[in-house]
Amino acid sequence: MKKIYALEERCLGCRLCEVYCKTAHSKSKNIIKAHKEEDIESAIFIEEIISEKQISYFALQCRHCADPQCVKACISGAMYKDDDGIVKNDKKKCVSCLSCILVCPFGAIKLGKDGKTVSKCDLCVDYGKSLCVEKCPNNAIELLEEHYKKEI
Amino acid sequence: MRYLIVGNSAAGINAASEIRTKDSVSSITMISKDTFNTYGRPLISYYLNNKIKPEDIYYHNKDFYIKHDIKVLLNSEVKEIDIKRKKILFCTKTKHNNDILVYDKLLIAIGSNPILPSIAGLDYNYTNVFTFLSYEDSIKLKSSITRTSKVVILGAGLIGLKVAEGLAEQVKNVTVIDLSDRIMSSNLDQASANIIQKHMENHNIKFQLKSSITNVNNTHNLVTEVILSTGDIIACDILIIAIGVLPNLNLAYKAGLKVNKGIIVNEYLQTSNEDIYAAGDCVESVDLLSNKKSVFALWTSAANQGKIAGENMSQGNHSKFLSEFAMNAISFFGMHILSAGVVNTNLQNIQSVTMKCQSNQLCRLNILNNNLVGFIMINENKRAGIYTALIRNKTQLSSLAYDITNHQNSNVGFNVYSTTERKRLLDLANIKI
Ligand SMILES: Cc1cc2nc3c(=O)[nH]c(=O)nc-3n(C[C@H](O)[C@H](O)[C@H](O)COP(=O)(O)OP(=O)(O)OC[C@H]3O[C@@H](n4cnc5c(N)ncnc54)[C@H](O)[C@@H]3O)c2cc1C
Repeated sequence: MKKIYALEERCLGCRLCEVYCKTAHSKSKNIIKAHKEEDIESAIFIEEIISEKQISYFALQCRHCADPQCVKACISGAMYKDDDGIVKNDKKKCVSCLSCILVCPFGAIKLGKDGKTVSKCDLCVDYGKSLCVEKCPNNAIELLEEHYKKEI
Repeated sequence: MRYLIVGNSAAGINAASEIRTKDSVSSITMISKDTFNTYGRPLISYYLNNKIKPEDIYYHNKDFYIKHDIKVLLNSEVKEIDIKRKKILFCTKTKHNNDILVYDKLLIAIGSNPILPSIAGLDYNYTNVFTFLSYEDSIKLKSSITRTSKVVILGAGLIGLKVAEGLAEQVKNVTVIDLSDRIMSSNLDQASANIIQKHMENHNIKFQLKSSITNVNNTHNLVTEVILSTGDIIACDILIIAIGVLPNLNLAYKAGLKVNKGIIVNEYLQTSNEDIYAAGDCVESVDLLSNKKSVFALWTSAANQGKIAGENMSQGNHSKFLSEFAMNAISFFGMHILSAGVVNTNLQNIQSVTMKCQSNQLCRLNILNNNLVGFIMINENKRAGIYTALIRNKTQLSSLAYDITNHQNSNVGFNVYSTTERKRLLDLANIKI
């Protein structure tokens, strides 16, 4: 399956991916409304790496693990791996117990702003295209076949 | 091949799914004494206070069973396993005679039973005495309460407190009684227990700690009062017993399988009989942190074990169950608690680092010899999964790029790892372990 890969050496930490992630997951799909009216948690986050010489960045999001711990931890069956291998959270069934957050080794799942469900990357399948990938000005986020051995 | 799975909860359903992904032709039958298709057992308190709709309690929708060709026999209690003839005896609620099913590979995933202490004056057949382990228990309890019910819960563990939360907004009086000096004594330290107890007291729940029920008074086969070891008498018209669970060992024991605290299995989750596997709350495993044999009553472990047992039953033994450790994600009235590993800070040599401590927030890390061995977080979840992974992988804290005990680094997430380690972990995600 295809997964999102963040290319650390190209990332400027501009956080546009976060902006577009929220837009793609908003009801309105409108960048202004998504931010001003709908309070959504982004499912991709820029992490800073501070070393003595420089600050670098990379974008983190769900890895859609082959053996996802969040799915096994989920007490309601809301978290599941679909037939295409995408790990999804059915918001209707989620009771926000945070069991998934407790076991995700990447810290890639967040409690939604409404506190009622969790938010995670679903590769924007419902939106039709991965907006963070498309909008990244530096091509620092790519959608690649998982066996495509490109170094992150 | 005929696969037979006894028990249709976390372990059973995950075994069935896994077998089907590996074997598309063989017959898979799940048999359970439950009345319902697989549901999220921890959700029964959410049903009690209407936080979920009855149709949302189910783990999978009905199509799942058809799509994966998994046969389910409900209301059917297995009475005996005949390991010589590889068959089981079971009885249904409607029929008197036992029925027989044969198997080639069997999974025992029958979970645990509630501990029912003997208390003077108490008969567990009284209709106002409850346990809280199944959806049926929850339905029965829900239909028995009224606004004026005086509820007494024995046991301030996870289940006792969840049922208390489930009832608090619907009845006038809820009192929780526990022998221990703090609530959830096996999951929480004193500081975190205090925060949560206060929060629950603000939501109409009363506590009587350091006390037990010595006897109950009854009239017309109904409990009317409970008498505490302190001498206090509490009026009671609903009594819920929630002092814990014990692995359901009966079937395995009678069949001659090796049992100890739980059913004994090897690392492939195979019992002392090579065609019989066992998974979930009925199984004894090894605690990663203490190296001692323990039984984990955890949805995550049960689901994980079910999946691994299913894989080994269908593919031959090659997938190992690694040792586990206690962990919990639980919430009460909107207050979230995440904990894992060692929470007791009084243990020798444990260095306990408090990152945050306020009236309704806490973050505490417990460190032993350069390893994170446990944590408790209240209303805080940043890095929780990373902490859990640090415990599981026994990562040397000195190998990390950031000091996790330094407050200035509290915003650092997955980048606590060095670049090479980060890359290694990201790659691992693609591999099925
Ligand atoms: C109120 C409550 C809240 C909980 N909250 C959490 C939580 O937040 N997080 C967490 O990790 N865990 C939680 N747990 C624990 C979790 O539910 C269990 O660890 C998990 O359900 C264990 O799964 P299992 O498949 O091993 O067995 P069980 O869920 O116990 O299921 C056993 C199955 O076997 C069947 N069975 C038993 N005997 C027979 C027989 N003789 N013949 C046929 N069928 C039989 C039963 O009908 C049932 O289907 C909670 C439990 C309760 C009760």
